[in-house]
Amino acid sequence: MPLDITVSFDHVKNTWVVKPVGEVDIYTSPKMKEALIDSLKEKDIDILIDCDELEYVDSTGLGVLISILKRVRESGNDIIIVNLKQNIRKLFDITGLDKVFIIKE
Amino acid sequence: MERDLIELKIPNKPDYVGVIRLTTSSIASKMGLNIEEIEDVKVSIAEACINALGKSENFIIRYELYSDRLEIFVEDVREVCSKDDSKEKELGIFIIKSLMDEVEFTDSGIKMIKIIEDGMDD
Repeated sequence: MPLDITVSFDHVKNTWVVKPVGEVDIYTSPKMKEALIDSLKEKDIDILIDCDELEYVDSTGLGVLISILKRVRESGNDIIIVNLKQNIRKLFDITGLDKVFIIKE
Repeated sequence: MERDLIELKIPNKPDYVGVIRLTTSSIASKMGLNIEEIEDVKVSIAEACINALGKSENFIIRYELYSDRLEIFVEDVREVCSKDDSKEKELGIFIIKSLMDEVEFTDSGIKMIKIIEDGMDD
């Protein structure tokens, strides 16, 4: 399954809303990284990642999230992750990344 | 104990890792693992392949199917990552160790085992 990413701007919350659909893996994670970096170049603000239709993430996908988190934190912003599926939540839990990212149900 | 053997030789390229994940899922499913266990095996095989990426022309994967366990060997997977290796690779090995029941590194690669709790009844 490929990866589709939609990025929209929430004017009320002044936040990027990123919605990855499909899989963020070794093949597709560069696309995810590019989309996130392009957004931050345009406006350096919080990023909300809606994972409602995200089916799979591997270590390269997690690596992208970690590097982007570093970048947004430098500007005093954050990444908020919502609607994680159970299988992906498990990866955040075992790697301790559940304590690094702001994860909301 | 009876053993079924499946060998997979597939180009060592990122775009084939998805194919390997799907193949592995169907093998794990055939063995009667539950959905969460299938997911564990699927994630682990992908992390092993990411580790082996670029180290040879093909990924060489061997599945050994026993009534009580699934053993998967992947060549060119290394536990000790060089200084040049990314933190992501360390993360990958950590994930494999967390999700599989037994993990062993050999001279040629990694051996990962998932125990089948109920055994294979069919």
